[in-house]
Amino acid sequence: MNQSDDAGANGKMDCEQARMYFALLLYGELSFDEEEQVDAHLDTCAECRAALERQRSLHAALDDFAVDPPAPLLRECRAELVAALRHGPGPRPVKLGWWDRFIGYAAPGPILRPVAAAALVVIGFAGARLMPNVAPYFGGNIVAGANQAGFERVSDVEPQSDGSVRIVVDQTQQKTITGSLDDQRIRTLLLDAVRDPNNAGLRADSVDLLMRRAQSAEIRGALIYLVVHDQNDGVRLKAMEGLRPFVSEPDVRGALSSALLTDANPGVRTQAIDLLIQSPGGDSSANIDRATIGTLQQLMSQEKVPSVRQRCEKALELMNASAEIY
Amino acid sequence: MLQRSAVALNSGLQADEAALIRAAQEGDQDAFAQLVYAYDQSVLKLAMNLLRSPEDARDVYQEAFLRVYRNLNNFRFDCSFHTWLYRIVTNLCLDQMRKRKVRREEPSVLTAADGPLDRMDSVQEERVDGDPQRHLFSGQLRVRIKSVLEGMTARERAVFELRHYQGLRLRRIGEILGTTEEAAKNCLFRATQKMRAALGDFV
Repeated sequence: MNQSDDAGANGKMDCEQARMYFALLLYGELSFDEEEQVDAHLDTCAECRAALERQRSLHAALDDFAVDPPAPLLRECRAELVAALRHGPGPRPVKLGWWDRFIGYAAPGPILRPVAAAALVVIGFAGARLMPNVAPYFGGNIVAGANQAGFERVSDVEPQSDGSVRIVVDQTQQKTITGSLDDQRIRTLLLDAVRDPNNAGLRADSVDLLMRRAQSAEIRGALIYLVVHDQNDGVRLKAMEGLRPFVSEPDVRGALSSALLTDANPGVRTQAIDLLIQSPGGDSSANIDRATIGTLQQLMSQEKVPSVRQRCEKALELMNASAEIY
Repeated sequence: MLQRSAVALNSGLQADEAALIRAAQEGDQDAFAQLVYAYDQSVLKLAMNLLRSPEDARDVYQEAFLRVYRNLNNFRFDCSFHTWLYRIVTNLCLDQMRKRKVRREEPSVLTAADGPLDRMDSVQEERVDGDPQRHLFSGQLRVRIKSVLEGMTARERAVFELRHYQGLRLRRIGEILGTTEEAAKNCLFRATQKMRAALGDFV
């Protein structure tokens, strides 16, 4: 995009030109110069500032239009893929093993999201969630309701040498469970729920509950995982909030640094700055450490969104550090 | 120090994935299954959102992973596995979308006994909003968004989907589509202008 096509001869944008850029501004995809011109216009135009807020609402409304594949469809896709690999003319015949667990487990998450760094504890958490959870959930002080719904589906059939037939049936049953957050089995279910890729609302609600017990290393690991890996901006922000009391922990700071440098959402990056400079006591007097300064300086060298840059500059000022890397 | 450890951890994850890929290239079925497992959710979501048809998304899912399986030995690590996989998926989706344009299909609408039925409605589980006026507004907005998405070219749809819903940066989108970041940006710009023209009165 050539800005001279859009800005006037004096380099200033009018309302129409500025508004054309709003969407790219919200994606954080304008060049430095383009963003400067939009910002300069916004400084002098209240109507466009209001229009930008409306555009922000529309942006959020578009999020609702996304379709998450339902779990049964994913399960069918997996079963078909395994069948095709097992029986098709592929280079290698597929044997039973991981594939059976793969098609039997319908609620995975993107374990290896490639753009983000993660703390070691996160890898442990992800690994633990990889397998179908067969823990005995019901018993003790947990109240489990009667089965409320369920369905069965034949996923595979195979003739046996003795003339009988082997049938694999997928079963799903719904139960209501009530218990204390201190009960490990309740926590396990909530930790499963935060990895349900199909339901961001469920993940956010589960994070809300889990963050009350974030002193547990396992829960903290899950929150860190979400900060780095969750695809939903709201869930990442909420998970960050849950980590607020633990900002001095090295693995938390590692996740926040990673979010600061790689998260696509300016709001998430801003919150990461606030948390990284927050002192363990909770006030925002600068939490000075050289690594944080280095991370913030790196952000300054790549950040394009003015509000995030300003926040970052302010944080570096608080730390008596330069905004540039020499 | 922390920054270095974040980088080290990132490298660790990538090394983990590289080890899986190498193992899969050598015929380790479990490794291949784990690779599929790591990405298949987002692949299905991408196909579903681009094609707006569960049946077509299922076909793309199957074909994409079969191609990965057959061609994994040709993967030389000159881009990330994610980029390589998304390139395959996006190309399959683009082909499908272009075929549709030629056939002038209405892929997501079926005719049932009691009138047209949107197949995507059956997979969309939205939270119920109690305010009828808001519900109506939201319904109208959905219709309009759907229409403007259908009005975009296949490439505009792909770029918009990858940026808005998959959260990828334009540089990565350029790599996936085999073009430059600037071309991807132009494409996104056109897509957002169409969106703005169609939804201007909603904002």
